Amino acid sequence: MASEGEISLLVVVVDVNPIWWGQHAQSEPEFTLSKCLDAVMVMGNAHMAMTRTNQLAVIAAHCQDSHFLYPSKRLKGNDDTSSSRDGKYELLSVTNNLIAEEIRDIMSKTELTGNSTDTLLAGSLAKALCYINRISKEVGVAQEIKSRILVIKAADDCALQYMNFMNVIFAAQKQNILIDACVLDSDSGLLQQACDITGGLYLKIPQKVALAQYLLWVFLPDSEQRSLLVLPPPAHVDYRAACFCHRTLIEIGYVCSVCLSIFCNFSPICTTCETAFKIQLPQMVKPKKKKPKLPA
Amino acid sequence: MASLSEEVLLVVKKVRQKKQDGTLYLMAERIAWGPEGKDRFTVSHSYSDIRCQKISPDGKAKVQLQLVLHTGESTTFHFANESTSRKDWEAAKELLQQLLPKFKKKANKELEEKNKMLQEDPVLFQLYKDLVVSQVISAEEFWANRLGGINNGESAACENKQEVGISGAFLADIRPQTDGCNGLRYNLTADIIESIFRTYPAVKQKYKENVPHNLTEKEFWTRFFQSHYFHRDRISTGTQDIFSECARQDEKGLKSLVTQGVKNPMVDLLSLEDKTLDEGYGISSALPSTSHASRTVKESSNFAIIKRFNHHSAMVLAAGSRKRDVPADQASETSSTDGNSRDSDFFQPPLKKVKLQEAIEYEDLQQENRPKTVALNLKKSDRYAHGPVPLQSQQYTTSQDIINSVNYIKHEMSNYKPNLTQVLSSAAASSAIAALSPGGVLMQQVAQQAINQMVPTEIQAELKHLYVAAGELLRHFWTCFPVNTAFLEEKLTGHLECMLQAAYSKFHIWQTRRMMRKT
Repeated sequence: MASEGEISLLVVVVDVNPIWWGQHAQSEPEFTLSKCLDAVMVMGNAHMAMTRTNQLAVIAAHCQDSHFLYPSKRLKGNDDTSSSRDGKYELLSVTNNLIAEEIRDIMSKTELTGNSTDTLLAGSLAKALCYINRISKEVGVAQEIKSRILVIKAADDCALQYMNFMNVIFAAQKQNILIDACVLDSDSGLLQQACDITGGLYLKIPQKVALAQYLLWVFLPDSEQRSLLVLPPPAHVDYRAACFCHRTLIEIGYVCSVCLSIFCNFSPICTTCETAFKIQLPQMVKPKKKKPKLPA
Repeated sequence: MASLSEEVLLVVKKVRQKKQDGTLYLMAERIAWGPEGKDRFTVSHSYSDIRCQKISPDGKAKVQLQLVLHTGESTTFHFANESTSRKDWEAAKELLQQLLPKFKKKANKELEEKNKMLQEDPVLFQLYKDLVVSQVISAEEFWANRLGGINNGESAACENKQEVGISGAFLADIRPQTDGCNGLRYNLTADIIESIFRTYPAVKQKYKENVPHNLTEKEFWTRFFQSHYFHRDRISTGTQDIFSECARQDEKGLKSLVTQGVKNPMVDLLSLEDKTLDEGYGISSALPSTSHASRTVKESSNFAIIKRFNHHSAMVLAAGSRKRDVPADQASETSSTDGNSRDSDFFQPPLKKVKLQEAIEYEDLQQENRPKTVALNLKKSDRYAHGPVPLQSQQYTTSQDIINSVNYIKHEMSNYKPNLTQVLSSAAASSAIAALSPGGVLMQQVAQQAINQMVPTEIQAELKHLYVAAGELLRHFWTCFPVNTAFLEEKLTGHLECMLQAAYSKFHIWQTRRMMRKT
């Protein structure tokens, strides 16, 4: 259990890419975005119910922007929607209602601009980091706060966000923020790296229907408690670099000593910084010419 | 033996060793003894081997000298000459006393270095124990590569030693103790004497002049403490005291120090004068006179004390800033800071300029003189931002698909109401739990435990030692290449083979021992 007064902040980043969800909802009707959000809510409630000092934030990563589902700006508005009818803990019912309202709002405002179909995951992670930073500053120096980010990913990786993603990962590592990943569909190399670098857990779920169970079992405990539990072992991460010319993953390559760009083949001039290289060939020993002996 | 150029420092005849008569020779680098009548030396020890010499006490009839070597064995010489035995013995003893320390340092230093290295590095110590003690490698080979850097490092360290300054309170540390019958005991250590000499070169001069010709050391110091020079109230009454001249010199020094002033143009000492509003409330402009006559007794004694304090502090500071190994040349030693120099004015203008410059300019605001570098010229810098292409095939969707999906999801979410009681069915939950339990689909690799949790720590430690020892042997193997000399070749083929055999057998023994223990 967390020590007295220690605040544990969980930020859940849910991938609500409407295109992916729309497509998959048609093919697998038993697991839809609603179900996914229900599972997330269950986990969020569980987290907040564990200790009074636990805090929660939920961010929806859309393909247009990223949006805070909870805490949202509506919180400061009218409170008439907050009374729960089934005697639930007030905070939990408020949270659930807010999340539901916000997601309805976001989805109704979805507009197709036609350019990007990729989830803006790097941006959402960056927002999460900023939120964590703000909360740690608000709480003050004396109060300890432990934060982690849980990413629930649906759509595929976007190669264009690579740099931003890596920056986010290293920033999280510096701040000792864990990034966990729960992947619904296809493996994501970037998230594997994120989990490996920050010390979080990466899990690709075999059954989407049981998402709530996986979330509660694997991702609910915080890092201290995880060391006491038997959880799925970390997966092997592919850290190979990609060569600059073909973008293929290589194991052995050539690196320019000036600009540090990686190539799969040797070329005498680096195409990025235009430095010329010389490789010393082994010295050729010229055979001694023997003068033919003149016959006496 | 004949090839060493040895100068014989002392020859003592009729010295017995092991009940044999013979002659003792003390040479420049060794001590040797040869039996009478024979030409060769039967016993010969170089001074570096000798740890110490032991002498028989004065009262004994037998005059003996014993040499103890580093290895522990000892040789005894008995000076049997009836008439001159004592003299010979003393001469030999003194000579040895002088020579031994010179050679001792060299040998000990190496040994000390080795010991220090072994103590500091436990891994090295373990390696030493494993390899040398168990006779796998000889000690010389072990130290062959390691000691090379020591001699170079030592000399560098010596150069950077800081000089020890002088404590300002050294005079006060000589606390006199009452002797019981109206006398005082002053305890003078070598450090205090040195401090006195460094601070007051005049006293040093007097010491040199008078000791040991006129006075013994003890007498000198007794007079020193008795003289008024040392005491609080210095009344230079012109008594026949060797130290009165010192007092006069000090006065002169202090006067010139005052007239010299402070060289820093930024410091204005004169503005720190006490300006009191005494009688007359500021109207009276009579300055306090500095002549002796107008002052009360108490004032003058205070004045004297303060003057002495100032002088003492000035001397201590001057001595501290003087270089230690400047030769005892009085003229040059009295540098500009203790008030007796003639060329103090030399230093004034440049110093002032430097101080003024320091005050006006800031170093980091000036232009930097960094070495010129070549700028990095990147043509295609967006290559860095692009990550690896994902290995899965891209799924292409038509725009119609996209529109359909979006509409579908919009429709679905417009009626979204959280239904938290129907989130999970028990079948799904139990299959998920089954997958997550050990042995399940997701938990296949957990069964592989780390080896270091299964093997007890002592076995791990022993294995580590063996591994490090094996690494050391490998290092010896590789240093033999390229095989240039015959020695290396021999080492490679013969010596190393034995080493490896010995190492292997050691490992084998350990292994069987461990296995026996298990069963």
